[in-house]
Amino acid sequence: MPTEADNLLRYRPWNGEPRNPLFASVAMARVSLWLLARQKLLWGLFALALLVFFFFFYAQYLVVWITSQLANETVRFGGIPVTVGNLTRFLDRLSLNGTAHTFGNFIWFQGYMLVIVLALTGSVLIGNDFFHGSLPFYLSKPIGRWHYVLGKCLAIGVVVNVMITLPALVLWVQAGLLYEWQSYYLDNFDLLLGILGYGLVLTITLSLLVVATAVWVRRMVPLVMIWMGLFVFLRMLATLLVDGMRLDERWRLIDLWNVLYLTGLSCLRVDPETIRPAPQPEYWEAWVVVGAVCLACAAYLRNRIRAVEIVS
Amino acid sequence: MNNPELGTPITDIDSRVSHAQAEPLPFPFPESGAGRASEFPSNAVPTSEPLLLFEQVSKWYGNVLALNHVTLELRGGITGLVGANGAGKSTLLRMANGQIIPTLGRVMVRGIDARDWQARRYVGYCPDIDAFYEDFSGRRFVRLMARLCGYSRTEATRRTEEVLERVGMRDRADRKLRGYSKGMRQRVKIAQALLHDPELLILDEPLSGIDPIGRQELLELFQGLARQGKCLLISSHELEALEKLTNHVVIMARGRVAAVGTLSQIRDLLEDHPLSVRITAEKARALARQLLGLPEVLAVEVDESTEPSSLVVKAHNPKRFFESFANLVVEEQIEVKKLEPLDESAHAILGYLLGGSGKT
Repeated sequence: MPTEADNLLRYRPWNGEPRNPLFASVAMARVSLWLLARQKLLWGLFALALLVFFFFFYAQYLVVWITSQLANETVRFGGIPVTVGNLTRFLDRLSLNGTAHTFGNFIWFQGYMLVIVLALTGSVLIGNDFFHGSLPFYLSKPIGRWHYVLGKCLAIGVVVNVMITLPALVLWVQAGLLYEWQSYYLDNFDLLLGILGYGLVLTITLSLLVVATAVWVRRMVPLVMIWMGLFVFLRMLATLLVDGMRLDERWRLIDLWNVLYLTGLSCLRVDPETIRPAPQPEYWEAWVVVGAVCLACAAYLRNRIRAVEIVS
Repeated sequence: MNNPELGTPITDIDSRVSHAQAEPLPFPFPESGAGRASEFPSNAVPTSEPLLLFEQVSKWYGNVLALNHVTLELRGGITGLVGANGAGKSTLLRMANGQIIPTLGRVMVRGIDARDWQARRYVGYCPDIDAFYEDFSGRRFVRLMARLCGYSRTEATRRTEEVLERVGMRDRADRKLRGYSKGMRQRVKIAQALLHDPELLILDEPLSGIDPIGRQELLELFQGLARQGKCLLISSHELEALEKLTNHVVIMARGRVAAVGTLSQIRDLLEDHPLSVRITAEKARALARQLLGLPEVLAVEVDESTEPSSLVVKAHNPKRFFESFANLVVEEQIEVKKLEPLDESAHAILGYLLGGSGKT
């Protein structure tokens, strides 16, 4: 005999086909970003990253304005006459002139913020799935484990591109507006592609690295320590070995951020001789390292994914 | 039989029994047997592939054997999964959902390896854990799960509202999960399992923490789903509630399937434990004399403190006993007021199978 509950149980006919699980990855990425957006600490770091961007944005404007408007004027600092053009000398090493080095330098400095953000992101996005028990729910749905990884990588990719690629593109647009915009955009279109290429390299490498390390350690503090080890300790070690002990420049290949910088500069078609600090390894060597890191992360994830079991 | 040979499952019934294959229940029906599995149609999808198939599945966690050569086949209706803590119930359920890899053997859902994501299109899973992202509202959580099932935004929203309505959470779904009671969390978990209208619902302790009224609602929900042709595999320590839902059970002990079938079928096979039946009838003493003449009857106790008097009969081979008893009643025109099996409850059977009280 039908009960009242039976009437509630009728599923309305739905003739549609469930979409490909790749769409589930997008949904997962969206929720992951929502989770990130709820972290106040990350908002603080985003604000600092925004400051780095504003520094480059206004400094680029300032340099061009001073060069074109006041370069030969003299102002007095503490009674000492200084040529205005010399006031911006300290900015020269940042090459704020709309060249490949401008964008390379911006991404280099923005990278410090990015690394810290990603170290926190890993534990929020992946570690919490283990601790909050979301994994059994995710993996009980018709999605594969790689779809889960893809969803997380997409979310991390969004973070990377919002912090790095997008502001770099804004700087490129700004540089065009500061100079002869038609000729700048035409002549430097390869820079635009280079920025996108740099962003792509960072997106793939860092998202795989974040997911792999987060799957490995899960908790925030060890994750941050590992990231600091990768991007701070190894960098110091590489500097010590190459600049201090005058060892082969290939030792810089242990500095992952420098390696990513080199691949990015190769995308931007920067002359290797102009890269500082010198000497630097060859571009192809940096690409090999980046490829190896990606492969290692993918292989690790593959092993972990095959063995993923929700036992508690 | 203090503890039957757990290493040898009771396979006279055949551990590959499915509801479609199960025989009709023998007389008498347990009084609490409302909503038993055989009332439900077998799975509506005409296919030879079983909905869920465990084939010689074993699972080791290090040195611990969690599942030991489990072979099981489900095709429809409601199946209860009972056993003591650590018997391997949750391992079995997670394996059915593809979350755990068998060390040996294979688990198939409609002919697809349970680890394959496509198999999960047939399966809805309500885990025993109730940890979520606490900042989510119930509605947001269920909607996310719907998107993971591959539905468009509109369809996901529609299904979310439907399942929330079904589990009685629609009006409370905007609250954050951290403010939910245990029962509300259970309902949300069940809601997300129902989202994609799965053929097989795997529910791990779905009734725990739910108040009596809510429990009754959920039992009706499960029965309704079974009537629609869904197959439900429900693990629960709430044996009384489970008995109301189904009397088709899988009893697990120490990683093995100790028995599969209806409670009556399993009880029939426990020949070492004589069946106890209370019979209330006029002329109890005369009836006792006649009962003692039956070869299956081992002992009869007469209780004359009640009016009318009653007998407690201990008999082996329950099936033959009930046949003989029925013949006797008809031939001798005995007026039986009440017939009550005393140890056909899941508790009693578990007690016989697992030793002790049968408490899980």
